[in-house]
Amino acid sequence: MSGDSAHQGAPRPGVAGVLGVGATGARAARQLASADGVERVVLGGPGDRPEALRASLGDKARIGDPLAGGAAVVVLAGPAGTHVDAARRAIERGAHVVSTSDAIGDVEGLLALDEAARSRGVAIVVGAAFSPGLSCVLATHVSAWVDEVDEIHLARFGTGGPACARQHHRALAGRSVDRRDGAWVRRQGGSGRELAVFPDPVGSLDCYRAALPDAVLLQRAFPDAERITARQAANRRQRLLAVLPMLRRPHPEGRIGAIRVEVRGRRDGVVVGDVVGAIDRPAVAAGAVAGLAARWCLAGRIPPGAAGLAEVVDPVPFLHQLAEHGVRAAVFEGMV
Amino acid sequence: MTLLRRAIAALGIAALIAAGLRIRGTGGTPPQTGGWRELRGPDLR
Repeated sequence: MSGDSAHQGAPRPGVAGVLGVGATGARAARQLASADGVERVVLGGPGDRPEALRASLGDKARIGDPLAGGAAVVVLAGPAGTHVDAARRAIERGAHVVSTSDAIGDVEGLLALDEAARSRGVAIVVGAAFSPGLSCVLATHVSAWVDEVDEIHLARFGTGGPACARQHHRALAGRSVDRRDGAWVRRQGGSGRELAVFPDPVGSLDCYRAALPDAVLLQRAFPDAERITARQAANRRQRLLAVLPMLRRPHPEGRIGAIRVEVRGRRDGVVVGDVVGAIDRPAVAAGAVAGLAARWCLAGRIPPGAAGLAEVVDPVPFLHQLAEHGVRAAVFEGMV
Repeated sequence: MTLLRRAIAALGIAALIAAGLRIRGTGGTPPQTGGWRELRGPDLR
């Protein structure tokens, strides 16, 4: 049976749904289908991609509406701007939600569902992708290396699938949201150039302010940090043409990407800075993070409510499990 | 009319200079020492 009628009703512990099976959603679905404890993965989305993915995933996969009921957790991997309504529908049916969106509007809208999620005893994991997502987990992990966190600075390079590339393009023309001295500061995207050193072979790249939600998520986990910023790498053409519609068709699967997290703070009274990062194809890493977050939801390891990964996961076991899926982090040793 | 043409030309030149300034330059100097290594062992406890 492949229709969604088989999945409607109360959430079943072994059933996961994936809404949007592009480059990121397909990876998340693949990871869920191979996980112990997941009996069925319901795939939903436009076009013929869900059917193609179902054929490659085998018996565990079904085509249907992941929001129709029956799924205990739903991974939202559709385009930015679609996640809040979908999450609302999912939690009304008692399902946990894992969102991969990196749009500020989606992140703020999902966090606003916190009370609704708590009242239903379900979790909404916000920003469970490469950045935000792995970047937030790394920030939490590195924060344990200092006694007090003063500043967190994130940078990212690369895009996942076409939807991610379009969001990347929009972000550079949007307004950034950074935390500075206890207040939110919004500045024009494409400004604030800084050279960021990413793990090899990406290397050093100029990064700029952009409409990224990382600071919104990290501020909740680090309310006392004086500065939290996020930037994204861009070349001259991308900066110059950011205000125009995309002139090139995005790469269908994305190419290599990287993230970098710098945490500045005090250790034994001395000001220190630690830098960690990761390289991967963003869609692959984002799918792994989203799939793992969904499995943690199914295992009851994520508390009810809406929050980013920095607030709700223990970073060490999360990073260990991600490494088993080939997503590994690196640390920079030397003067930055 | 002449004044309008000159104003448009001036704005065009200013826009070109602004675009040039915006896309040129670099955000800093890459580190001369150090490097990346995989996060493992004691780093992941």
